[in-house]
Amino acid sequence: MRTLRNLQGPALTLALLCALWLIVIVGLLALKPSVFNLGTVTTILQFSTILALVGLGQGLVILAGGTGIDLSVGGAVSLSAIIAMLSLKLGLPPVLLPAVCILAGAALGALNGLLVNGLALLPFIATLGTFFVYSGVALAITGGAAQSGVPGWLLVWGRGVVAGIPVPFLTLAIPCFALAGLTLMATAWGRWIYAMGFNERSARLVGIPVDRVRFILYALSGSLAGAAGLVSLAWLGSGRPNIGQNLELESLTAAMLGGIAITGGRGGVGGVFAAVLLLVTLKTGLLQLNINTVWQVGIVGALLVFVLLADRLSQRWRS
Amino acid sequence: MNVVRQSGTGVFSMNGREWSLLVACLLAIVIFSVASPHYATPGNAVTVLRNSVELLLIGLGMTLLLAMGGIDVSIGIVMGLAAIAIGRILGADGSPFVALVAGPLVGALLGCVTAAVVVLGRVPAIVGTLGLLGVYRTAVFVLLGGQWLSGLPSSLTDLLAATVLGIPVPALVIAVAYLIVWLALRRTPYGLHLLAIGNSEEKARLSGIPVIKVRFLTFVISGVLTGIAATFYVATYRNVEMSIGSTSALDAIAAVILGGTSILGGRCSLLGTVLGVLLLRILQNGLLLIGVPSLWQPVVTGVLIIGVLGFEAVSNRLPLTRFQRARA
Repeated sequence: MRTLRNLQGPALTLALLCALWLIVIVGLLALKPSVFNLGTVTTILQFSTILALVGLGQGLVILAGGTGIDLSVGGAVSLSAIIAMLSLKLGLPPVLLPAVCILAGAALGALNGLLVNGLALLPFIATLGTFFVYSGVALAITGGAAQSGVPGWLLVWGRGVVAGIPVPFLTLAIPCFALAGLTLMATAWGRWIYAMGFNERSARLVGIPVDRVRFILYALSGSLAGAAGLVSLAWLGSGRPNIGQNLELESLTAAMLGGIAITGGRGGVGGVFAAVLLLVTLKTGLLQLNINTVWQVGIVGALLVFVLLADRLSQRWRS
Repeated sequence: MNVVRQSGTGVFSMNGREWSLLVACLLAIVIFSVASPHYATPGNAVTVLRNSVELLLIGLGMTLLLAMGGIDVSIGIVMGLAAIAIGRILGADGSPFVALVAGPLVGALLGCVTAAVVVLGRVPAIVGTLGLLGVYRTAVFVLLGGQWLSGLPSSLTDLLAATVLGIPVPALVIAVAYLIVWLALRRTPYGLHLLAIGNSEEKARLSGIPVIKVRFLTFVISGVLTGIAATFYVATYRNVEMSIGSTSALDAIAAVILGGTSILGGRCSLLGTVLGVLLLRILQNGLLLIGVPSLWQPVVTGVLIIGVLGFEAVSNRLPLTRFQRARA
């Protein structure tokens, strides 16, 4: 108990997440021993790639404080994938598909940044508005129909597996997290993000370009959503207008579960990574147990509420 | 500090924002009447008003929540859960009077749950209610068991289709609800406390306002109003579908923001919300009739929210215009 109390911050979060993860895995194994084989692990990592990218952007936006939050991520994933597929139909050279997908996401994220920074709208209401616009446009311009025609070479990348690990996970999710982790820990930009999340006023007073950093983070969150859209295209072979459904809830849960404080300034991306794996393991396990998918959104929502309440209680307990 | 300054003193006195909303409503009606031959019919007018009933009630609660600096994105599904309770009672041939009580009761209970998480747990309202939205959505699916609740007996419908002195019951209930909320907001300490909390929760706490009590109460009030909305929903449609209330929260937030209630707190307009609801429903109905697919509706609503807020932000930044000086 003593050592548990001495564990603090990221280490405690990671320890708790690993414990939770083990509980989930043991529980699933007890219920159905055949749940986990190499194929399941690959599926879990494949699903994780999309949530990991989106959760990373969400986590960084929240970390930078100022009541920052990006509710539009799910809509941005769907819309950037649809924009990429539609521009392919309009004669875009297939080589440019990945670039267009990520750039479309970046533009959608930059619009959020503009609303939050330039017009000083509250992040939750601005991104709630853009969430409905993005996801609505994705559905409306396609009429809800999946857009096929992803070039074959992209499928090779998206469906490739090396030693049981999907290639997009290896080449996109892990590098993004490593880069974000390094930036947060070892560069001035990382210190800036923590500083403005912890106390924005002080951060401004010592000359940190708070507005510029925040704008870039929203654009980055959009770009990562675009990258997630690209992964969905390369994996599923078609652009689905509702692929980003529930991602706003899941990415928030991943960020909160990963130990990022909702007020900003506290937490790290390592926890988010672990939380994503935990969430997807749980979801995949439930799927394997033939539990109706409608339970997923409820379980993720309950986890979110539980984590937030536990965070408050632990703060009160410590003080 | 303009905590105490409130737009107008009378129940129906209007400010610039509300006049412009009224003009926008009339303009939309004129444009749609020209664009579609099916628009300007008495039947369609009734449809629009009929479709506004639930949103007017939910919007009143959402006005209080947003004016307080809160929000509840789960409110539509709360209506769904209350509707399921009512439907089950009616389906078991329960008395319509029991069903009348069930809606507000379930709404109040779920309001307490939301308040417990958001207010007592000190969780940001948007994140807390988003989590609850997930939980409630699963609850709706599980309670309905994958089937619609349909073919409900018409006892409740008959009860609420009555007219009192020639006024339909829904209109009467909405008028009474509006009056009660207006009185609470403008003539009791509760209203002052609510607006003060919206302006600055910290300052409100320091000046001795019972912040937790007021915030808790507001979530419960919003729940009760949503429960009443559910009663009208079941009475009208006599079924409960899976996707019930999935756009209600967005519509309510849009209507309140259109109406001029400030999320930054301290400014609140019930009449604005009523006009905002009407404008929203007129637009949605009109766009449908001129052939815009209903898939575009959330896009239009989202653009309205961002557009109105963006316009307010830009106009606040310009030097005081005559329009603003008149309001100040």
